[in-house]
Amino acid sequence: MLVRIGLIAEGGYPYVSGDARLWCDRLVRGLGQHEFDVYALSRSERQEDEGWVPLPPQVSRVRTAPLWAAEDDGVVYGRRARRRFAECYGELVGTLCAGGATDLSGVSGAAEHASATEADRFGNALYGLAELARDEGGLVGALRSEAAVRALERACRARGALRTAREARVPDLLAVAAHLEHALRPLSLDWYEDDGLGSVDLCHATSGGAAALPGLLAHHFSGVPLLLTEYGVRLRTHYLAAPDSSPAVRSLLAALHGRLAAEAYSRAALITPGNGHARRWQERCGADRAKLRTVYPGMDASRFAEVGEAPECAEPDSLVWVGRIEPAKDIVSLLHAFAEVRKEEPKTRLRIVGAPSGAEGEAYLGHCRALAAQLFPDEAEGPHTVGHNPVSFEEIGGPEIPTLADAYASGAVAVLSSVVEGFPIGLVEAMFSGRATVSTDVGAVVEVIGGTGLVVPPRNPRALAEACVALLRDPERRERLGAAARARALELFTVEQNVAAFHGIYLEIVSRTPVRRLVLDEAGDPLPFAVPAEAHVPGRWTERTSRLVARGGPARPPGAPVRATALPATEGAR
Amino acid sequence: MSSGLGGLDRPGAPISPGAWDERSEEWLSTEGAVPKAAAGDVLEAAEGDVLGTQEAGVSGMAEAGVLEAAAGSVPEGVADSRPATVDAPTSDRRTTGPRPAPARRTGADPVKALMHRHRALCERAVDPLEIAAGLEAHGITDRTAARFLHRDVFSLAEEMYARVPRDSDAPHSPRPPDTPRARADWILLTLLPGALCTAAVFALHLTQGRSRLIAAVAGALAVALALRAALSRGPLAGRDRGHPCATRITWLVAYALLGDGLLQAAAAGGPDAPPDGAADAPWPFATAPVLALTLSCVPAAWCAHLLAVRARRKLSSSRALQEFATSAKPLLLGAFALYLGALTALLTLTTTALDEPSAYPQTLALGGLLFLARLLTTHGFTHAPALVLTAAASAEATALAALFAARLPGCAWLATPVETLIGTWGPAAIPTAACGTAALTLLLHATRTLTRASAHATRDQS
Repeated sequence: MLVRIGLIAEGGYPYVSGDARLWCDRLVRGLGQHEFDVYALSRSERQEDEGWVPLPPQVSRVRTAPLWAAEDDGVVYGRRARRRFAECYGELVGTLCAGGATDLSGVSGAAEHASATEADRFGNALYGLAELARDEGGLVGALRSEAAVRALERACRARGALRTAREARVPDLLAVAAHLEHALRPLSLDWYEDDGLGSVDLCHATSGGAAALPGLLAHHFSGVPLLLTEYGVRLRTHYLAAPDSSPAVRSLLAALHGRLAAEAYSRAALITPGNGHARRWQERCGADRAKLRTVYPGMDASRFAEVGEAPECAEPDSLVWVGRIEPAKDIVSLLHAFAEVRKEEPKTRLRIVGAPSGAEGEAYLGHCRALAAQLFPDEAEGPHTVGHNPVSFEEIGGPEIPTLADAYASGAVAVLSSVVEGFPIGLVEAMFSGRATVSTDVGAVVEVIGGTGLVVPPRNPRALAEACVALLRDPERRERLGAAARARALELFTVEQNVAAFHGIYLEIVSRTPVRRLVLDEAGDPLPFAVPAEAHVPGRWTERTSRLVARGGPARPPGAPVRATALPATEGAR
Repeated sequence: MSSGLGGLDRPGAPISPGAWDERSEEWLSTEGAVPKAAAGDVLEAAEGDVLGTQEAGVSGMAEAGVLEAAAGSVPEGVADSRPATVDAPTSDRRTTGPRPAPARRTGADPVKALMHRHRALCERAVDPLEIAAGLEAHGITDRTAARFLHRDVFSLAEEMYARVPRDSDAPHSPRPPDTPRARADWILLTLLPGALCTAAVFALHLTQGRSRLIAAVAGALAVALALRAALSRGPLAGRDRGHPCATRITWLVAYALLGDGLLQAAAAGGPDAPPDGAADAPWPFATAPVLALTLSCVPAAWCAHLLAVRARRKLSSSRALQEFATSAKPLLLGAFALYLGALTALLTLTTTALDEPSAYPQTLALGGLLFLARLLTTHGFTHAPALVLTAAASAEATALAALFAARLPGCAWLATPVETLIGTWGPAAIPTAACGTAALTLLLHATRTLTRASAHATRDQS
């Protein structure tokens, strides 16, 4: 069955410098039996200038739009459009000033009802603005106008507004209005016509935030089901990256992003978080548990095949740490742990493989080198040989470690000492390499490692050392753990599983919530059976003479059984 | 590292005070000397197994830097006064490994200690999720949250958010506004048209005949290019490229240069020859107004700059939009009056220097019109200036055309209104009326639009 997928990416695929281009590329290439329409929002002029990655033939079309610059579209609204805009915008900012969608905890009964009403108000206002943008041909000018700022001020001063919103000053109002204009730019796009996102079978938003908005609108206008993939929760990224502005601005923006996320989660047919951490955030922001399917990111396992299948090549007495050198990795604690290890196992060596990231990383690397030199004097085998430090700092690409796989091959035990970690890619690589691992309990480490490695608390060098010593002294256990880790990684974190999971999810969505399109004949009457199930075969085998009209209107409840067609079964073939 | 996913959700490195400092120790030595009942439980959980890891992996979190308070640094007296229960955790899970540290002392309220450690985060947060995100970026997981008797980081963050003291009388101190600065490039560029125009006028006075024509054409071209450059940056720069009103402005300025003479000559039945630049010729050049106008680029830029700076300051200090509008109106009128004053002074100077008849009303009207049009264009309102400039230019053109059309047989009545005007107030009446009305219209428009806060918003915020 051929599915036409609208892949929506923000600042990612197909741009060369995109964020998640690698997995999107693998996904598109891995699902050659489907057809992809790529809708890309670019994040900066530089990104646009750098060009695209080579696209496979299953990508039938690419449409791009800049998020970084919105030209004044010169659309002048009439009186009615102005009133419509003021109403919708006022509703939208009214819900923002009433607080975010995120205070869901412990609410019940009336409070829950009120919160649902607010979410509904937000959604209606958002779609109202989108319809206005579609009817009038643009929204940018209106969002920048004084009317918008006035509506915002009214909402902030209204009864029941947030305390922080009530304190908003004029610069705050302007900042919020500018940010809203930026966030709502996807509303002004011309992607939602019947030959655009209206013609696909399903929208796949590759991240939350701005990429989810076109998917939401396609769902609203044409009933196209939305699949939302989030490897990192956008709302959380927003909190971490929030600029230093006044509390009023931050609370309103937090409310906006919370509301947008909640709306996307509630409208999406399925949501695929990339790990348990993202999943918890999504649940917390109102995603229905039944819609969540964790799809782990896939990584290329072939690079580690040779290393992973020959565990005996490892040096028995060496620990290896691989990663980007930065303070969050807590190499200092690793060095202290290694000092403890050396007390028990004097012949052990530690290889730290990786390049520093940024100026901060450089300084940290220097600090770590100095500490290593202080803690461990150089050692030589005999009185006539040149000594070496038991701790070595190396980079991939050198003569000893030409590739990443060689880095893991050089150690018997892979160590991860971070205090902060998202999805630990280095750990997965170590698992692919069949190495026994000792890691700190941060981020998604426990979820990734399962039972196939040792986990210690972060910032605890003694525990780290004890775990390392235990593994160094027990080659058999090391081997067992390494084999288990490799098996687990091959099961969960390969590209193939990722692609297969998405393939299954696509089919599930298309079968559960198909888009129902009505085909009209010349007289404007609906043609029954004009789009039979067999229409989904590769290639175009029919001429498109009649007009495809997407069926809009209210969304049907998710998961409800859907009949193939509700039209009377009369003979109406073309 | 290699899959391209790493950059998506990479938490930032800790930026708030990560560890204990002297102040925290002071705080600890005075606070929490009497532990609550919960302290024992918390400590028991915190002192759990360090490395209970067989292949099952997860171990307890003995870290909790919060609990790991500076045991040695607490003053003796305070330490002794603590009940002994604090450092007697009875955990039978604690089986393996030596105790890394002797008895740990902790405050009665671990959450309070955690809040103290992350106080910047807590005070800044606008909702619990922000605290949750910050805590996670500092390496606190659900398992750490369990040490604080919470199910997950979210509920821990909620408690912290609820407990942050929020004193409403300590509002966020607004940042000093980043006002635009006077920069050398635009200051020099605004000097350029005036300088070139002065040179052109000198050249006109020094040359004769054909070379005078060449000098006039070259001077006009140079001044036009210089004006274009001067308006491309600084406080008079438009938001988008392109000069939509260039033709209309050129026409208006050309009329100021030649129009009055032509009108007079036309009313008298001429002109019989093209202007030759002589002041006493039947079709004279009025160079003084044009020179004054080009020189006034400098005060125009400074007035616009002043307006921008003051408006930005008012913007940051006002609480309501209406308040800003009220306070911005005098600013705008002041800047306009300042420009007119400067133009008057320049006009007096050039008239005296060039020894030409004074032309105050029409030049001031034209200068005011051009200044307001530019100011509006600069702030993104291009529609009204274009309309009003067109109206003014066509009014002047109509007056000229009417005079010439009246020479056609049977159309003499066409010239009557214009001739009446010229007869009553002189040829200056036409441009004064046209530009003055236009300038007043634009002034009214500007008092409505340029006093809006959205007109003064910086565009690069997003």
